Amino acid sequence: MENDGTILSVRDLQTYFFTEAGVVRAVDGVSFEVKKGETMGLVGETGSGKTVATYSVMRIVPRPGKIVGGLVYLDGDEILRKSEDEMRRLRGRAMAMIFQDPNSSLNPVFSIEEQLTDVILTHSGGTTKEKAKDTVVKLLGKVGMPEPETRVRWYPHQFSGGMRQRIAIARALLLSPSLLFADEPTTNLDVTIQAQVLELLKSIRSETGASMVLITHDMGLVADLTERVTVLYAGRVAESTDTRTIFRKPLHPYTLALLKAVPRVDEKVELEPIPGNVPNLIYPPSGCRFHPRCKYATDICKEKVPPLEEVHEGHSTACHHWSEL
Amino acid sequence: MASPIPEVEQEIEAATGEKVTSRKARDAGQWSVAWRRFKRNKAALFGLSMIASVFFVAIFNNQLAPYPGRPNPDAFKPLYEGDAGEPPSWKHPFGTSTYGTDILSEVVHGSVYTLYVSLLATAIIMILAIAIGVTAGYLGGGVDNVLMRTAEVFLVIPVLPLILVFARIFQIVFSQTSFTLPVIGITVPIGLTIVVVIISLFGWAGDARAFRGEVLRIKEMEYVQAAKSIGASPRRIMLHHIIPNILSTVIVVVTLTMATTILTEAGVSFLGFGDPNTVTWGLLLNENLNALSVTWWAEVFPGLAVFWSVLGFNLLGDGLADALNPRLRE
Repeated sequence: MENDGTILSVRDLQTYFFTEAGVVRAVDGVSFEVKKGETMGLVGETGSGKTVATYSVMRIVPRPGKIVGGLVYLDGDEILRKSEDEMRRLRGRAMAMIFQDPNSSLNPVFSIEEQLTDVILTHSGGTTKEKAKDTVVKLLGKVGMPEPETRVRWYPHQFSGGMRQRIAIARALLLSPSLLFADEPTTNLDVTIQAQVLELLKSIRSETGASMVLITHDMGLVADLTERVTVLYAGRVAESTDTRTIFRKPLHPYTLALLKAVPRVDEKVELEPIPGNVPNLIYPPSGCRFHPRCKYATDICKEKVPPLEEVHEGHSTACHHWSEL
Repeated sequence: MASPIPEVEQEIEAATGEKVTSRKARDAGQWSVAWRRFKRNKAALFGLSMIASVFFVAIFNNQLAPYPGRPNPDAFKPLYEGDAGEPPSWKHPFGTSTYGTDILSEVVHGSVYTLYVSLLATAIIMILAIAIGVTAGYLGGGVDNVLMRTAEVFLVIPVLPLILVFARIFQIVFSQTSFTLPVIGITVPIGLTIVVVIISLFGWAGDARAFRGEVLRIKEMEYVQAAKSIGASPRRIMLHHIIPNILSTVIVVVTLTMATTILTEAGVSFLGFGDPNTVTWGLLLNENLNALSVTWWAEVFPGLAVFWSVLGFNLLGDGLADALNPRLRE
């Protein structure tokens, strides 16, 4: 497969949840790419499949979810067909994840030192405990923890939410992965702390040169941090292009609606909420999944699934009426 | 690298500097925090000392009891001294039975069997309940279904009549009354051990369900997903994330199971289905029931002993539950 500076390439990924109520098509044919050193935003409402898509790439989809189709190339290497043992070696090293809720993403019964040195020791048999601890302390200092030598012995409940998220970030960075998934890393934090964590993510990016996938519904974060954006709606890609274009000339009604729902400081514009809810993914709407909430919808939208077309160089959209927007 | 130390958090720390240092000075591990909380709970400390007293009496039973235990014929000494059926006095603080045994001595010797029953039964129940509950919760799916439906069978059927039937059957099958464990040299009453095993086999279901629920809750925690995302193996997740986090529940369930097994054994013996060769508190209650109108003390004191130890374990369990509850952390 192509290896022209692309670190992650996802092709037609399908991940379904086989629940008692029916099959939930959480991710239903999603494709996207992440270039080396680039930060890509994965944007969408709750339930659009952005988290499930990244869990699928790491192959940590919780039950009853299952990856039923698609291809995922990590650095040119297809990983959906790898054995679980091979995957385990990739996780943490090749790719790592920062989770949404710092309050529950650290194990409450172990000290930070025990938890983080453990990661190093399981992955590299040769290192000693002292060496691993050294690495952990250094990294904690780097992510902005004051007095890391003493605090490394603390337990998660002794830290503030912001500090915990820094620890979680440090954990993701322990084995210097080249691809980092950040699943709404600032959603559960206070606004002031959000800004700090953002700065931290930026400095990590420039220092390590790691590629990043930022999962968020916050368009402000997208503008601030990403170079390219993939917008997901109800388990499918709605639009995919560079960040500038998304804000200047979006070519999908959903993207447009998302942008109008964001408050702006510079202009006085009425906020327009998106009517309706994210559809039920057991019985998704026919045709274009956005049509029940779309004000441009016509009959064709109810009948035919719009394909994801590259309408301009590097700009794909899945809408029958993109040219009318 | 320009250190991105957050000024805001530094300020917070400067403002609350005292609190931070005092926190630092104390050990914040799960167990020391729990012990600090436990120490403040008067009822729990009382429960702990009640249990400690039972252990003390059981360990020093031969030194504390004025008369030896049955089947030693000296147990009937009060009968030959003409003290059968005597009410409590200085000589016999708990009185004597109509057949001439000292109730205090019998209660003291009985404490050994009570602890034997509760420790062994709880150990067996815990092994079964943890193995079944954790397997069901962790594996889920069909395995979970089979194990939990089985547990429900045990929860739904009235187990006491079954325990009684099986206890009687197995006591007829094994004619020997006791055997000595080869290495440690402790003599174990066979009949009582049969009762213990049967109680355990019928008593694991509720606890297994509790552990399964805990595993399900912890499995959903983000730190388990986080551990997977940095390459932890299923074994590691089990040993480092799931087991340590259900440990506090296990400890609480252990103390409460100790209480219920004591009560069940006392009930089985009281109904006359226990080991007739082992003088447990339940057997004392059974033997002296007919003479209740004459020697009430022979019924009241063994009953109080059961009450004391069950209450002790329950208070201890409640105290531990509060102390180990992570939601109430300081």
